[in-house]
Amino acid sequence: MHTDIETSPLRPVPVAAQAVGQRPVEPKIDLLPIGRRAYGLLITLLYIFLLLPILIIVFASFSPDQRNTYALSNASLHWYREFFASNNFTSAFQFSLWLALVAAVLATIIGFITAYGIVRFTGRGRNLAQSLVMLPMMVPHILISLSLLLLLTVLPLMELSALIIGHVLICLPFTIAGIIASLEGVDPDLEAAAWTLGAPRWRVLIEVTLPLIAPGVLSALIFAFIISFGDVYIALFLSGPGVTTLPVEIFSYIQWESSPVIAAITTLQIVLIVLFGLFVERLVGLRTAMRL
Amino acid sequence: MIRDPEARTGAFASILLSPITVLYLLFLLAPISYFLAVSFFKYSPAELFIPGFTTENYSRLLFDSYYRNVIYSTFRIAAVVTLISLVFAYALAYFLARMTSGWRSLLMFLIVAPLMTGIIVRTYGWIVLLGSDGLINRLMMLVGLVDSPAALLHREGTVIVALVHIMLPYMVFPIFSSLTSQDPHLVPAASTLGARPLRAFLEVTLPLSRSGIVMGSALVFTLTAGSVVTPQLLGGRDVTMMGQTIYNLVLSTFNWPLGAAVAALLVLTQFLVISLYFRKTRGAH
Repeated sequence: MHTDIETSPLRPVPVAAQAVGQRPVEPKIDLLPIGRRAYGLLITLLYIFLLLPILIIVFASFSPDQRNTYALSNASLHWYREFFASNNFTSAFQFSLWLALVAAVLATIIGFITAYGIVRFTGRGRNLAQSLVMLPMMVPHILISLSLLLLLTVLPLMELSALIIGHVLICLPFTIAGIIASLEGVDPDLEAAAWTLGAPRWRVLIEVTLPLIAPGVLSALIFAFIISFGDVYIALFLSGPGVTTLPVEIFSYIQWESSPVIAAITTLQIVLIVLFGLFVERLVGLRTAMRL
Repeated sequence: MIRDPEARTGAFASILLSPITVLYLLFLLAPISYFLAVSFFKYSPAELFIPGFTTENYSRLLFDSYYRNVIYSTFRIAAVVTLISLVFAYALAYFLARMTSGWRSLLMFLIVAPLMTGIIVRTYGWIVLLGSDGLINRLMMLVGLVDSPAALLHREGTVIVALVHIMLPYMVFPIFSSLTSQDPHLVPAASTLGARPLRAFLEVTLPLSRSGIVMGSALVFTLTAGSVVTPQLLGGRDVTMMGQTIYNLVLSTFNWPLGAAVAALLVLTQFLVISLYFRKTRGAH
């Protein structure tokens, strides 16, 4: 459509030709000499690359024998039975669920208070405050974990509380960012109106603000749960015998052998995570939840 | 009389921000500072470390060829992973930013889903895929490329492939946001002025997505340099990175001061990379 303009660059641009308010037509993706087909192929291959290592686990979990095979014809649930029979793995699974729930609730509460403070009550210092609360993301998680382990030698702190604190720390940047994103969508005039009508601040918060951002808060909670549940770096140093999280239990197991029982456990984990992820997507959309 | 809701802003901000301040000071900044101070302490097999001041841990990192190699290979692997992820992630982010159909949210979800499963699951996926009776080996034997299963694990290349797989989503999202925040009229404007698609891309789209590129690269570089689990499981003894070295020094040799020195070096690099990011992105706006 631009050909006549290209051949005579002096002709005025036909503004009226484009309907007002309509998104302009974007050029086709012909970046490189290889063209659209090659680009499409590259994208397809990248998706296969991203998903294959995860899908292969699901197949391997139905393997009929010790090897990680993927024969669909003689699929068996043997390794799932093995998992439920193994005390080590089931207790680690339960402990991980419990820990992730506790850490996610704490991180969401602190994250909400912090996000509300940043969005509504910081003036010029807002950008600084917003980057400072992201601190746990900038520091390598292995260092957070080691420092907390070192702290245990100084403070009379329980190992379990150090583990919870570590998980809360790594979840906080995500809950704060998610809740800030939802708070920005709330018109501050609504709060001001309630406030002018005589409601005290805490009542404004509970009766006006919180209901408006409930989906964002819930998705922050789920997101924190997912992060805590999948963490291996914090728990690597802070979980002791008897209180081991699932990822650490799997890590120490597959250092010595690889058996389809791990595939069965991770498949259950994948199903859980995907369900949660779809739920977050329904609530607020993953993009909002992940905004950093 | 209507009171100004913003009147006591400062006081409320400090009340609301005090929990996180206490939490970060007590459990993040103080212990990390103490841990980094340990890197100047003396190693003692009986008590882990003896408070004091010595630079011998750092001189060991610089002059012992073993540690020098570990540092070198860590940065080499991190750089290669960052570069490969950047190219692939740009292709994906550009594709997602340009598509308008309802498939977009599904395709975005397929990029986030691996991210959510955790590092251990993704690393395990590569073990299953590349093991001696894994899919790749079977395919290679089927087409007659090899006679017996090739040892694909315990190689630097394998570690790099798996790390690219793990890091790719972290690179896609910053680039995607910088692409979608661009004014959609710019590229049509450039082509109206006679720029061919490739030139419009190189001179408009690419420079404007610089903040996403720098942010994603800083994130991927630092995450890769600090990784432990993936190089440990896929690289074994043949590929050693700084994260693994810290892990082994602290949990097997109990040499806390040397482990702390390696960690300090890691944080220093991180700090340099991130400050580079802030300088570069400030220039972009």
